[in-house]
Amino acid sequence: MNEPDKNKIDKEDFHLNFPINKGYIKRRKIYNNIAFILAVVAFIIGGFPVFHIVYSAFIVGYKYLNWHFISTLPTGFPIGAQGGILNAIVGDLYLIVIASCLALPLGIGSGFYLSLFGKKGINSIIRLLNELMVGIPSVVWGVMGFYVLSTNAGLGFHFGFSALAGGLTLGFIMTPIITLLTEQAVNRIPASYIEGALSMGATKWQATKSVVVKAAMGGIFTGILLGVLNIIGQTAPLLFTNYYNTGMPTGITGPGGAVGDLAMLIFIYIHEPSRILHYKAEAASFVLLFFVFALDIGMRLITRLTVKIFEFF
Amino acid sequence: MADNNGTIKNDIKIEVKNLNFYYGNYNLLKNINLFFKKNSVCTIIGPSGCGKSTFLRTLNRMNDYTEDTKLTGEVLIDGKNIYNRSVDVVELRRNIGMVFQTPNPFPKSIFDNVAFGLKIHGIKNKEFIAERVEKCLKYAALFDEVKDTLYKPAFSLSGGQQQRLCIARAIATNPSVLLMDEPTAYLDPMSTGIILDLITSFKKYYTVVVVSHNIQQAARVADYSGFFLSGELIEFDNAGDFFTRPKDKRTENYITSRF
Ligand SMILES: Nc1ncnc2c1ncn2[C@@H]1O[C@H](COP(=O)(O)OP(=O)(O)OP(=O)(O)O)[C@@H](O)[C@H]1O
Ligand SMILES: [Mg+2]
Repeated sequence: MNEPDKNKIDKEDFHLNFPINKGYIKRRKIYNNIAFILAVVAFIIGGFPVFHIVYSAFIVGYKYLNWHFISTLPTGFPIGAQGGILNAIVGDLYLIVIASCLALPLGIGSGFYLSLFGKKGINSIIRLLNELMVGIPSVVWGVMGFYVLSTNAGLGFHFGFSALAGGLTLGFIMTPIITLLTEQAVNRIPASYIEGALSMGATKWQATKSVVVKAAMGGIFTGILLGVLNIIGQTAPLLFTNYYNTGMPTGITGPGGAVGDLAMLIFIYIHEPSRILHYKAEAASFVLLFFVFALDIGMRLITRLTVKIFEFF
Repeated sequence: MADNNGTIKNDIKIEVKNLNFYYGNYNLLKNINLFFKKNSVCTIIGPSGCGKSTFLRTLNRMNDYTEDTKLTGEVLIDGKNIYNRSVDVVELRRNIGMVFQTPNPFPKSIFDNVAFGLKIHGIKNKEFIAERVEKCLKYAALFDEVKDTLYKPAFSLSGGQQQRLCIARAIATNPSVLLMDEPTAYLDPMSTGIILDLITSFKKYYTVVVVSHNIQQAARVADYSGFFLSGELIEFDNAGDFFTRPKDKRTENYITSRF
């Protein structure tokens, strides 16, 4: 039994003696406006480089932006003086597909594992390693790829400078990003969603696919998108594992297995003394930006579609 | 008690005039007219989905944040239309406490949940805050249960405890209007009794609007009561007449079916 007196409060005092900080109430409106202005300024500062890149890429490269440019292989001397960038576009597709084959199952799988199963202690170690992996400079991945995947000497897979070696290296870069975002996406789902489904008599898989996957889908696809965007901007890892091919690949390993790549193309063209190649590099940047844009839109559509597909099973 | 027509306007805290509310094209609240007097408790009853929560949210403009909605008509608080462009919504809500239908504590500690309102309104005195938090929790009949766990996350509380926490949070800043959407939905009879007494004692200081599904509880605390049916206000009267001699057949049916 509690003494009732202790919980009695003086209601008169409670309601009548409430201080109002008029100064602060006025000031916080000013803070609110300042915050708004800062947000706008941040947007302008952050957005300016983007607009500048798009603008300058277009202004300098526009005369090459035509169907011919994206549908033909580079020719002429120096190579690229004539023709287009088809090699790089096709090469990027190769690399994205190969990297995704490694990174999607591995990344999404470990993301789900980390958030739904596993033991706390081990999980925190895996999580730490994963975050470490995100922080590894891409050139280090390139060196790793060279020794393990590309080089024909010593132990390793002896894939040569090839799409497979380059793509897998990029896949390793992509994996931890996807893991991180998958785990966060799943963790953000309120427990009540899953409990609700389980309480209806859903199996764990039914609950996972109907509620978890659906709710986490947005986050997972953001992870995939960030991963893909990250790797199509990479050049350092490719220097050691694929380098660059001005033509079409004849396979994905060994001689003839190397592919072109937009980022590498820009990197190489910019280093040439030829003016034409500089213009073409800008035009290629524009194509790359458009690629990014299309990918973003495409991902959103895929997200919706995938949710529908999952509901079916 | 006092009849509701002959009184002077000064007695009226909230007046709702020709209020219509739309979700998209769907006209949910249809031409609502009523008023709430100062220092009174008004209960809103009606079947699920009839628009009670929506109505409550029009009184502090919480529907501003729901997309694709439209409102016509007026809501006057202290004689001023809160939907006027010149009205400062932040200032308005400082004056109107709200307890939501589902408890929604912040992802903070129990203490910080109650202290939040004080802090955002510029109260810095730590002693005052600590004292006020304790009083609010006592007021909401929660203090005994949480006095040793004040710094634990609010989500670790049970549903009913969370609801009382939200009540404590709502009264911390001393509003003059209190909107409560089924404040006893998650509570046991004991705590329900405490909260009902609390509501009754609130009216000395507040204008209280309570949505309730429980007619007995509504009758116990009400000075006035209104019955909503599919977005229409069927009847609004002082509680004595409303619960014993309803004028509309539909009100009578609803009340008696539940007793
Ligand atoms: N955000 C929204 N968008 C569209 N329709 C809504 C939205 N919120 C509520 N509604 C609809 O408005 C109607 C009234 O909802 P409201 O929540 O006001 O009912 P209620 O009377 O509070 O019911 P209950 O007693 O079950 O809480 C319902 O038919 C609901 O489907
Ligand atoms: Mg409701």
